[in-house]
Amino acid sequence: MRKYFYALIALLSLATVALATDSQIWGEMRIQNILGYGQEESLKLGAWFTLLQSKYFAWVFLGVLIGVPTVFFLHYKIIGQKVFPHSHNKHYAFNLFHRTVHQIAAVSFLVIIPTGFIIVFGDFFGGGTLVRMAKNLHGIFTIPFAIVIIPMALMWIKEAIFNLEDIKWFMILGGYLSKEKRIINATQFNAGQKMWYWVCILGGLVMILSGVMMFFMDFKIEMLHNLTGLSHIDMLRASAIIHNVMGFILVAVFFTHIYMAAVAIKGAIHSIITGYVEEEEVKFLHNAWYKKLKEKGKF
Amino acid sequence: MTNSFGDIQNAKSIFIIGCNPAVNHPVGFGHILKAKERNNAKIIVIDPRFTKSAAKADYFAQIRPGTDIPFVYGMLHIIFKNGWEDKKYIEDRVYGMDEIRAEAAKWTPQVVADVTGVSAETLIEITTIYAKNSPGTLLWAMGLTQHTIGTGNTRIAPILQMALGYMGKAGGGTNILRGHDNVQGATDMGCLSDTLPGYYGLVEGSWKYYARMWGVEYDYIKSQFKDASWMGKPGFTLARWWAGVLAGKPGEDAIENAGTNLKALVVMGCGITSTSQNLKIQQGLDNLELLVIADPFVNEAAILTNRKDNLFILPSATQFESSGTVSATNRSAQWRSKVVEPLYESKPDQEIMFELAKRLGFYEEYTRSMMMNLKSDGYLEMTPDKKTFQWPEDATIEISRTLRTIGMMGWTPERIKKHTDNWHLFDEITGAGKGEMKGEYYGLPWPCWSVKHGGTPNLYNVDVPVSEGGMGFRNNFGLEKDGVSLLAGNGSAPLDSKVNGGYPEITKENIEKLIGRPLSASEKDLCGANWKTCTSGKLVDLALEAGLTPYGNAKARAVVWTFPDRIPLHREPLYSPRPDLVEKYPTYADKQNHFRVTTKYATIQKEKDYTKEFPTVMTTGRLVTMMGAGLENRASKYICALTPEMFCDIHPDLATKNGIQNGHMMWVHSPAGTKIKVKAKYSYTVLPNMVFLPFHFGGFMQGVDMTGNFPAGTKPYASGECANTVVSYGYDIITQIPASKAGLCRVEKA
Amino acid sequence: MENARMKFYCDESRCIECDGCSIACAEAHELPAGIARRKVITIHEGIPGKEVSTSIACMHCTDAPCEQVCPVDCFYIREDGVVLHDKEKCIGCGYCLYACPFGAPQFPREGIFGSKGAMDKCTMCAGGPLATNSHHEFELYGQNRIAEGKVPVCAAMCSTKALLVGDAQSVSNVIRERVAARGGKGINSSYGWDKAYKNQ
Repeated sequence: MRKYFYALIALLSLATVALATDSQIWGEMRIQNILGYGQEESLKLGAWFTLLQSKYFAWVFLGVLIGVPTVFFLHYKIIGQKVFPHSHNKHYAFNLFHRTVHQIAAVSFLVIIPTGFIIVFGDFFGGGTLVRMAKNLHGIFTIPFAIVIIPMALMWIKEAIFNLEDIKWFMILGGYLSKEKRIINATQFNAGQKMWYWVCILGGLVMILSGVMMFFMDFKIEMLHNLTGLSHIDMLRASAIIHNVMGFILVAVFFTHIYMAAVAIKGAIHSIITGYVEEEEVKFLHNAWYKKLKEKGKF
Repeated sequence: MTNSFGDIQNAKSIFIIGCNPAVNHPVGFGHILKAKERNNAKIIVIDPRFTKSAAKADYFAQIRPGTDIPFVYGMLHIIFKNGWEDKKYIEDRVYGMDEIRAEAAKWTPQVVADVTGVSAETLIEITTIYAKNSPGTLLWAMGLTQHTIGTGNTRIAPILQMALGYMGKAGGGTNILRGHDNVQGATDMGCLSDTLPGYYGLVEGSWKYYARMWGVEYDYIKSQFKDASWMGKPGFTLARWWAGVLAGKPGEDAIENAGTNLKALVVMGCGITSTSQNLKIQQGLDNLELLVIADPFVNEAAILTNRKDNLFILPSATQFESSGTVSATNRSAQWRSKVVEPLYESKPDQEIMFELAKRLGFYEEYTRSMMMNLKSDGYLEMTPDKKTFQWPEDATIEISRTLRTIGMMGWTPERIKKHTDNWHLFDEITGAGKGEMKGEYYGLPWPCWSVKHGGTPNLYNVDVPVSEGGMGFRNNFGLEKDGVSLLAGNGSAPLDSKVNGGYPEITKENIEKLIGRPLSASEKDLCGANWKTCTSGKLVDLALEAGLTPYGNAKARAVVWTFPDRIPLHREPLYSPRPDLVEKYPTYADKQNHFRVTTKYATIQKEKDYTKEFPTVMTTGRLVTMMGAGLENRASKYICALTPEMFCDIHPDLATKNGIQNGHMMWVHSPAGTKIKVKAKYSYTVLPNMVFLPFHFGGFMQGVDMTGNFPAGTKPYASGECANTVVSYGYDIITQIPASKAGLCRVEKA
Repeated sequence: MENARMKFYCDESRCIECDGCSIACAEAHELPAGIARRKVITIHEGIPGKEVSTSIACMHCTDAPCEQVCPVDCFYIREDGVVLHDKEKCIGCGYCLYACPFGAPQFPREGIFGSKGAMDKCTMCAGGPLATNSHHEFELYGQNRIAEGKVPVCAAMCSTKALLVGDAQSVSNVIRERVAARGGKGINSSYGWDKAYKNQ
């Protein structure tokens, strides 16, 4: 029942996209960069965008692209994976709906992020057809992501709420800075996962919105214009800046998530495929959840 | 134009009333801007809207449509009161100014403010500037002419110029901006139903002259009419031809058309849907027995009609596919050369007419004159060994030897072509030629009295000799009136003139006295009765030798004793927003047989108080992207991208009062019961009590889309309601031009 | 030897919003309807003393911001200052439009789902990177009038000669003469001249 509810929400979200593109850009309401006399640009977004895009964005992306994997490479070398025996019971934590949604999101990310990089470094790739294809794929794969993002947000939102325990988790960085296997008193999602959840959902929505605005150029949301008082061209400039900045964050935390999910805990990747989590991993890494499951007789 | 566009750069003040040159003549407007820049000229715009011309003006008066006469009388009031008039000029060159003075005395600034809506301060300011910055030139166009009192408007404006002595001066004059490419040529050639070509009157003498010049017998021409009396009667006008079709139906005006209705209409290159009462035009088209339209694009008249047969559309060629002369608004001729053969099956207009003439059986008579040449004795003969005529050169020659009234004698094909080919050798401001073109003015502005004359750049200018284009006013109205001489005063004559004062138009009778010597017998033989019919050109040559203007040297008249209003008088429009002023300044009595149609005036105005149901003033006008009926322009996709649909300029206050949102549809209702559905466009260019409609759209009739009638592939990119559907009854008393500029309407949310 | 530096100047004392420049450009380069490389705008229409019209297109700026932000580096700037780009490299991302103070870049709806195709803008009638006056160059970029020694068609068509284009020195001279003739009255600066050229 819940799945249908989620799917409906997703469809409605997409519908708003369709409505908003009743655009006026080609007729009278074209983007007016030209301000009336006496109306100077208050935010100077155009100048800001030019400065940031021409001098900084590409370098920061390069830094993230090289730096983040380097950090984790070093972690792998120095601290290494946490290995838990898979001898005891498994718990079916993620059903088909969860996994499908998660997989679709994953595949989307795995196309969106590299194509995003191709666009950022477009001149390195010589522009033209290759980069244009990358841009198109970047846009096409936003669609599956946009479909699943609401269901994904709703299905895990209860577990993603932060509490005071999470501060303790951050203080020790989840125990990942040592090889020791400590009991971590986390719920189903630890603070790191929760952080990724919020970055992915909120950041993802921001990326979708800002991305769609740039992709279609005349995608207009009246409410935003009324709220911010910005002209459409300034909204586009803001979108560009936000998309890039949010991009750094999302790429960095996504790389982290991949490392955490696929490398840092050996075998943890299986939960996205089969839906099962290992009892030992849960006992050590998500102790509070373990206790609850035990009470319910899952283990 | 009495002067020219270039000459405007000599003006110190430029008075623009009832016209919008920034929109109608964007390239010509450059001269006005240059005058402002280089000559420190003051630009004054009088208009109901804050137009693009007003945006560049130094002084602007937002006048109620149709109140131009009160405004100018208000100016004259101030001018006479302050003694700013040019007294010598008036004494020497104007008849009847005292009657004007008497009328002007009534128009105090306060009265003017009440009638026109322009404050007394603005009136005084503008008058002071205009009187003090000499010379001043006065420009007008349809905003002044398209009223029931249009003829009065176009008389009060030159009267103002004459009062200030600005008429006949470089930088002065009345520069009427003709609206169409070659419309000046069209009227010169007699495309009017009350003159012959060259404005020869519809009298026996003129017909006999034309018979001679066309190489046909006078009786042959007479036999084409029902009887000789009809040769002197004006025909229908473009404004009301449909009345000739609909007469006899209930509610329609009576006609005097020899007992028959109009049965067939041939339309050649005319946007007939752009005149008022569009619904009537549709009914007229529906009720014809035969309708033929010749145009390069499918004229909207063809699709507006509901008729199902006897409608023929002929593809005619454009100006690029045909050669010939054109006349500019300043009376200059230019040569147009064909650059491409007529495309597909299109034919040039003259070929269409020749083919029609052949089938109707008068082709030989129709073209005979082009097979003839003028001998030195002034008689025409069939040119020996000539097999066919050369078009358009032979037609040009025919024109130049026939249209003497306006002095086209110098317009030979060779001279005109030479000017057009050498246009770089002429001065931008004066039009004077240099190098091998020295002694001539660009385009030989008529009157160009002979093949040796260089043209007349500024009319009525006595500061130069006749050989350089000098002239006084035409002697057209007799020698005296009520004991006062109508000839120019002593000392007022073009430079180097044998007669230093007024003289009548040159005739065989008076030529010897005027040139001061007797003629030999052979010279006398060559002289026709008067200079207009003297086809040897002898009278004109003799006059020019003596420095005399062939048409005489007379006074201009401020009084026209044959018109219903001796002097221009203000009369409220038929649909007036001021019922109280309708009492004081009522319109004319209904006119019988006005170009064959009974035309109503008082009946309409007195019918009821229209302001109750139709409280909003309505005016029409032009857009810069379009021309006339707009069909040609709406066939250009780029123009349509800029002006894609019909709209109404409405002040936000008026719109919100009626719940009309910007960009939403609205209805405009007319007192005649017609209505159009158009898009509302908020604009501050109009006052909150009026709306503006551009008149270039067509294809829709009162909400009904007629564009399905276009043959496949001929529909223009943009169609819309025609403003003229809601422009109601109203025609000038003398010319019958539709009164489209001062109407009433009611706006409504759609 | 110093090169000419090509600049546009629209004299707002003379611009009457006749749209001749806009339509001449569209006709000469056979642009799709809806792509207006040159637009004429009127500000404060109907307000006496404030109404101003001006013609806007790519100004071919000094330190062109569009060139700075392009991710595929498809712009190139000629020695005479004309800013051009390679449509075949362009991916239609829109960054140049965001950076432009004048709204010059235009995008036809030729991408997937009707999104932006390759960017199009005023070329100052100087064509593009393809062979000069070739058919392919005309199809993508329009006429290359500069190569034929002709004036860009917008300024050539301007009714009142409000729009001027050419070497900066020559244009400045014309404007200076006009300002002097006006006695310093009227509008004596053009929106964008300083913003675009920064006195270079």
